Amino acid sequence: MAVLTEEMIAAIKDYFPRYPTRQAVTLPALHIVNERLRYVPLEAVVEIAQLLELAPAQVQDTLSFYGYFKQDKPHGETRAWVCRSIACALRDGEQVLEHMCHAAGIHPGETTKDNKLTIEFAECLGACEYAPCMLAGDVLHKNLTNESAEAFVKQTCSGHGGNGQAGSTH
Amino acid sequence: MPKVIVDGIEVELAAGERINGIQAAQRAGVEIPHYCWHAGLTVVASCRMCLVEAGTRNPDTGDVTMVPKLVPACQTPATPNTVFITNSEKVSNARAMVEEDLLIDHPIDCPICDKAGECNLQDYHFKYGQDQRRADIRPFTSRKREMGDTVTLFVDRCVMCTRCVRFTREISGTSELFVINRGSHEEIDVFPGYPLENRMSGNVVDLCPVGALGDKDFLYKQRVWFMRKHDGVCTGCSTGCSISVEENQDTVYRLKPRENPHINQWWMCDEGRYGYHHVHSDRRLTDVQRRDGVNWTLIEWSQVVREIDERFRNVGRVAVVLSPHLTVEEAYLLGKYAREVDPQAQVVLGPVPVEGTDETFKNGFTIHAEKAPNRRGVEEVVTHFMGQVATLDNLLISLASSEPTAVWVSGGYKSNWIDAAAADQIASAAACLVVHDTFDSPLTEKATYRLPDGTFAEREGSYVNFNDRLQSVPWAIRPPAGVRVAGSVYWELLGEVGLYKSRRVLDEVAERIVFFAAAAEPVGPLGVDLKTPVLEATPTA
Amino acid sequence: MPFEPVLLANINKPESYTLRVYEAGGGYQGLRKVLKEKTPAEFIEVVKSSNLRGRGGAGFPTGLKWSFLPKDHPGPVYMCINADESEPGTFNNRILMELDPHQVIEGIILSCYATKAVTAYLYIRVEYPTCYQRLQQAIDECYAAGLLGKNIAGSDFSLDIYLHRGAAAYICGEETGLIESLEGKRAWPRIKPPFPAVEGVFRKPTVVNNIETVCCVTQIAARGVEWFKSIGVPSDPNNPRDPGSYGPKLYCLSGHVNKPGCYEAPLGITCRQLIDEYGGGIWKGRKAKAAIPGGISMGLFTEAEFDTPLDFAGPGKVGCLGLGTAAVVVLDETVSMVDFLHNSCRFFAHESCGQCTPCREGTHWSLTMLERIKAGKGRLKDLDLLLEIGDTIGIIPGTTICGLSDGAAWPIKNAIRKFRPEFEEYIKRTNPTGYMVTEAVNALPVVALH
Repeated sequence: MAVLTEEMIAAIKDYFPRYPTRQAVTLPALHIVNERLRYVPLEAVVEIAQLLELAPAQVQDTLSFYGYFKQDKPHGETRAWVCRSIACALRDGEQVLEHMCHAAGIHPGETTKDNKLTIEFAECLGACEYAPCMLAGDVLHKNLTNESAEAFVKQTCSGHGGNGQAGSTH
Repeated sequence: MPKVIVDGIEVELAAGERINGIQAAQRAGVEIPHYCWHAGLTVVASCRMCLVEAGTRNPDTGDVTMVPKLVPACQTPATPNTVFITNSEKVSNARAMVEEDLLIDHPIDCPICDKAGECNLQDYHFKYGQDQRRADIRPFTSRKREMGDTVTLFVDRCVMCTRCVRFTREISGTSELFVINRGSHEEIDVFPGYPLENRMSGNVVDLCPVGALGDKDFLYKQRVWFMRKHDGVCTGCSTGCSISVEENQDTVYRLKPRENPHINQWWMCDEGRYGYHHVHSDRRLTDVQRRDGVNWTLIEWSQVVREIDERFRNVGRVAVVLSPHLTVEEAYLLGKYAREVDPQAQVVLGPVPVEGTDETFKNGFTIHAEKAPNRRGVEEVVTHFMGQVATLDNLLISLASSEPTAVWVSGGYKSNWIDAAAADQIASAAACLVVHDTFDSPLTEKATYRLPDGTFAEREGSYVNFNDRLQSVPWAIRPPAGVRVAGSVYWELLGEVGLYKSRRVLDEVAERIVFFAAAAEPVGPLGVDLKTPVLEATPTA
Repeated sequence: MPFEPVLLANINKPESYTLRVYEAGGGYQGLRKVLKEKTPAEFIEVVKSSNLRGRGGAGFPTGLKWSFLPKDHPGPVYMCINADESEPGTFNNRILMELDPHQVIEGIILSCYATKAVTAYLYIRVEYPTCYQRLQQAIDECYAAGLLGKNIAGSDFSLDIYLHRGAAAYICGEETGLIESLEGKRAWPRIKPPFPAVEGVFRKPTVVNNIETVCCVTQIAARGVEWFKSIGVPSDPNNPRDPGSYGPKLYCLSGHVNKPGCYEAPLGITCRQLIDEYGGGIWKGRKAKAAIPGGISMGLFTEAEFDTPLDFAGPGKVGCLGLGTAAVVVLDETVSMVDFLHNSCRFFAHESCGQCTPCREGTHWSLTMLERIKAGKGRLKDLDLLLEIGDTIGIIPGTTICGLSDGAAWPIKNAIRKFRPEFEEYIKRTNPTGYMVTEAVNALPVVALH
């Protein structure tokens, strides 16, 4: 059974003219698969490797270097990255992360049982003026507090919209 | 002459020569320790073990300007007037640092590690490391991971030099190995379902500077310090890779490639590497036997050589079949004996086994389909006696119509090489059939005399590879009791006394056969090219 | 004072990210003028004479970098735009890409024109989804308006810009790490030489420039060299090799200040000015203890060093690594330096690419020690070991390929050298029976390390 759909393959092939080598399409291809499946299973790595004329090991080498792509199972409908780097840490980012994980009943890196939410720590999200902050899906959550983080978890896990928002957003 | 200065020692560079600091230091007799650099692979300069101080000397004033920071010698070209300092405190501190770093998460399980005794990590730490452990001690782990049928990875022993990964990408071109994860979580791995299974896989074990990649064939068989190394030639195919035969008390434990820029560089294939087990097979022939009717009688070597000689002279007509597994010297001696007994004796080339097709790898290394080490050498010997390359088929045709003939068939094949029909044909045509081989075959069953021959590890002498390069090697082990290697038997047949000395024979061959002329000079460990020197030696006047 | 923002002039306008608003504010006029009036070589000279220095962290003169491209190369030449802004404390590129993407694109077109690059890859970190969308919209607008693609603005010059998303790895901000990542490999920085200008992405001559740098190029094209050099700190007359610190700079201010944010100011304002005049002072009425001068890699200012000018030369004079990204993170008096250093070491252990032994193992070892110290098992000897690691890893002593581990080393060196009594007090207080131990000790068991 092929994991990559015709649509994904076409999307990957769209990138070919942009680069003089096929290997350069590795990251775009991984993103394409990850956006649709919320993870990149090993079977997909093999299929991407075939498209890019590489050995699966070469794609896996690149993939595993970045902490971004999950492989065992899809991440939750919402993937929340809570920043733990210095600017956020100074404003209690790590406590918020801990509180949030507690509220969701998971450890950093895990997904809630209902597959609604994955919480991970992130290194600097580049939004230090809004510390502590979190990137949930495409939405930046600013100036998190324990309360707003907990509200976010409740909203996300109760099924009302994947990108439930807490705190101010832009 | 342009010069490079290493620790005050001047080293000469040939014009246009491109070497790095490590190689320049080698010439000055200075060791620069290194893990990731290997002359056969791209430079990554990541292990940082080869850090040295470098600078340039002004050729006019002699003033030396040094670079303020340390540089990796592997990445620093030794251009004229480059100055390398490898014995400063700064350098030794850097080495101690790298050694300390590499041992932070290393299990230090040397007692059960196959690499112990030939491990760069051990040796460098002994020389350049600190005598105390300062790092936080973690509970050590010692995980194993199968890379494929030939290689096991001891994950935590790895120092992440990535030589093995580069090998599969740059040399074999098969890209099975890769680095997984990032930072201190990095490990070597294979993709699930895509194991390391190329035909050159064993080389990654040689490349591994530590005990991380273990050769399953050798694992836990022998401590390396008990083994002795002997120069050898791989007899697996006509490439003729230079190898080392490593043995202890006449047991071969492993074969390793021996660097030879003219043939195999640093590599050898798995077929060759693991193709030594027949040496210690319990199916090897070890008894000297004579057929008396339907019974076999055991006789002594001391008796059998004279007996055969008498019978051959009585028959009068002689033919010999020279196996492509014989050395040049052996082939020549047997041919010479045949012609001594019978000036019209037939001297023919035995069957040359061919399996599949040649396989060439990304770097140009080729495994040949021709599974014998010395077709070219034997062909030239046959041509010398016959004027052309006569084969076993030619012999069979002529035997059918000629007078009764005594036939001597040499073997040395690794496995059965002749089918029953062909064996019948030879046996029925021969008045007296001597088969000198390592294993039983349809032919030995029909022989008049069945003699046990040695294997490649027991032979001394010369082989000529597909590209007409001749290599001379000594024997590595003594043959098992009862076995006599072809060369010494022929030596006795010809009435020579004393120990068989292949070099004396090669001198005669080089003198008598133009093709081998270049072998008249002493043959070094890298062998000699039989093509070019002859052309050069041709008088032009 | 106050300084009239130039790089940030557009960002408060409604729909500032659209071509319409950008052009209404005079956008793309500089580009049209340069395309009409200057040859690429002439424009390189303009940028050279402005003494513009790269804003990505190293401060290398931009015009000089461009002029390293081989003159007679058959091409193609590639432009890589480094938008992998991952240095903790830094967010100026995010603001530029999100709120003024056309200023970025104009700068890219100008830089490509100067270097004759026909393809530009904008490597953007995956943590910036809004920037990615805005930039893609802006690029689409430009293609539609004839500002990208064939014959830009009616000239002979053609250019394609492609966005390339990263996947959360700090090392991709190192220019050769970025190149490797762009090629689809693990982002292990390359050994140099060859430098990217000679052999970069896809083995072709390549220039890697930062987002803020190309925005400065946009402004130089629009306003001229005179304007640019009227701002900032002039070259040191006693040092002929000092290119000075000219032009406006985006300072990112965060941490314990009342008004964190991205502020544009002339290069050379002091850290104290930035905190007091722009950031509204320290929060909660507290006192400052220290500040990171330019991203965590650069080390630490003590409060007493706050009068150091934030130009390319200033931070180095008080033992910091440099100006870096000019991202100032302020630590108030309540912050434990042990916590600070733990955070820093954790970051670098997580982000070390793992290629060079001293960095891979040094960052990991220093984190192990900090975890142990934090947990009350510290020894005084650990401080010396940490300093030894800090003094020996990095591109400056020559023990690594890239500068990541210099960045890892500087917080260690500055924190311990500038705040040693605090570390010693912490260790003695939390480990009263063991702080004098000198032999190796057990590391803490590993708990949930990523």
